[in-house]
Amino acid sequence: MITIIQITLKGIFRDRVFQGIMALAVLFLFIPSAASLSMRQVTELSITLSLSLISFILLLLAVFLGSTSLWKDMERRYTFSVLSLPVSRTSYLLGRFFGLALFLLMTSALLGTVAGLVIKVASGIYPPGRPIVWSYLLLAVIFATLKYILLVAAAMLLSTVSTSFFLPVFGTICTFLASGITQQVYEFVHSPASANTISPFLKTVATGVYYILPNLSGFDLKVNAIYSIPPSGYGLGLTLFYFISYTAMLLGGAALLFARREMK
Amino acid sequence: MLALDIQNLGKIFKGKKRQIVDALQGVSLTVPEGEVFGFLGPNGAGKSTTIKCLMGLIRPTTGSANIMGVAAGTEASKRHVGYLPENPAFYDYLSAEEYLSFVGRTFQMQESLLQRRREEALKLLELWDARKRPIRGYSKGMVQRVGLAQVLIHDPSVYILDEPMSGLDPIGRALVKEIILDLKKRGKCVFFSTHITDDVEKVCDRVGILLHGQLKLVERVDTIMTQGIVGYQIRIRNSDGKSVDHQVTKDMLDGFIAGQVASGNEVVLVEPRRKNLEDLFLALVHNGAGSSS
Ligand SMILES: Nc1ncnc2c1ncn2[C@@H]1O[C@H](COP(=O)(O)OP(=O)(O)OP(=O)(O)O)[C@@H](O)[C@H]1O
Ligand SMILES: [Mg+2]
Repeated sequence: MITIIQITLKGIFRDRVFQGIMALAVLFLFIPSAASLSMRQVTELSITLSLSLISFILLLLAVFLGSTSLWKDMERRYTFSVLSLPVSRTSYLLGRFFGLALFLLMTSALLGTVAGLVIKVASGIYPPGRPIVWSYLLLAVIFATLKYILLVAAAMLLSTVSTSFFLPVFGTICTFLASGITQQVYEFVHSPASANTISPFLKTVATGVYYILPNLSGFDLKVNAIYSIPPSGYGLGLTLFYFISYTAMLLGGAALLFARREMK
Repeated sequence: MLALDIQNLGKIFKGKKRQIVDALQGVSLTVPEGEVFGFLGPNGAGKSTTIKCLMGLIRPTTGSANIMGVAAGTEASKRHVGYLPENPAFYDYLSAEEYLSFVGRTFQMQESLLQRRREEALKLLELWDARKRPIRGYSKGMVQRVGLAQVLIHDPSVYILDEPMSGLDPIGRALVKEIILDLKKRGKCVFFSTHITDDVEKVCDRVGILLHGQLKLVERVDTIMTQGIVGYQIRIRNSDGKSVDHQVTKDMLDGFIAGQVASGNEVVLVEPRRKNLEDLFLALVHNGAGSSS
């Protein structure tokens, strides 16, 4: 499995798509000047923009790398040569996943450092209203990364059943978009106001979808980082637990499906 | 021990829109250790399908197979095998050298041994100069050579090669034959598919002919070659000193010669005409096509 992780990382670093996406990181340079346009709350705005940019880059990486890594291997017939080596399909799949996860961690470490510098500069020039708590910022970046690692697992699950990359790519994007709003939808259908307007069937469906789709709202610590509000330790623990069990479930499903898949 | 033990292997592909392809039906075959076995069949006969079942890439619909006594497709069975896929593709962002190292590591080879074998294999297959370039930039024949190198590097006891000579130049083909003969000398089992009868004649101990997913014939190559005498070419010099060639069937030979001698002609040459593997193969394919239509 270690060898698969190694070649996965090598593959990403030598990939054009990766290089293109990382070019987006250049945008960091514009954050201080963009933020200073607002005149007020420059530091807060710098933090917001930095975290958003990190999220966006990680999202692109997670969607494209997560959905294409298995698909590409099958499409380009690498699976024939790799899966006939003494590597079980499960360790191949997990090797791929951990390779991508490690890569996302490395990327966010790098981007996080750059963001830290940018924010430091901004706060030096325009002192913020509330002092920046760097550990909250770190937590925000870490949990954002975990969120996208979970998304990679979802993308891999989808690519084990699909023969094209459309399902994984768009499925992952839809999962991401939907998971951002499930909390609101859930709260809405269960609110007394909706009782008359929504049929019980729809309510059941919405509730089912709510429990199946990942709930990613807990991973968002942006507000805490921006306004230096301490996050709840209990909440973080719960999110971490949710991350581990949900990812494990996705990977377990993916491994089962992938083991049954025919390499034609 | 049996290197390969295939029992009643069958495969039905189910495509979209209820399309069904009965690619392989009840193939049973055993290959002992140390034997070179040629798996001959026309396009679409089911050779690759058989091999993919052996490697666990697809699940057979019926039957089973063992490799060195271990169920095919398991991680343990794959440890015994060097497999060359047909039209192989390897991670093209790696160089030949990196890819071979990757393969060696999955077989848990010692790093020093791996380096030595890697160098040997790259030199043997004439990839040494290109070893640091990514496979992306290799020609088709060079990729095939990488495929052969990755088969040799971990020195397995069973070699399963799907059309090892395809895409190679004449020198490359000759090299592959040499490699196979060398493996045979070292007591390895080589099972390879091909549609070229000549390759089989030159290197194989036994041949199996697959047709429409059925194994039609399994025979020793030398038996086919000796049994295959179908007639003789006889050159006669008559009293004028002119030479004439005659084609004579096997059972007419004695009578023909006696008759010529009696009429005062001289028999200059008697050469057996063999029905070679190619003829046999073509005859089988023809009959097969005739009976199925
Ligand atoms: N994935 C698949 N889906 C449907 N049918 C398939 C599939 N793969 C192979 N077949 C069919 O199975 C049969 C055997 O194919 P196979 O690839 O084993 O032939 P082959 O003997 O290797 O031929 P070739 O010499 O051309 O490589 C063919 O009729 C082919 O159309
Ligand atoms: Mg084939």
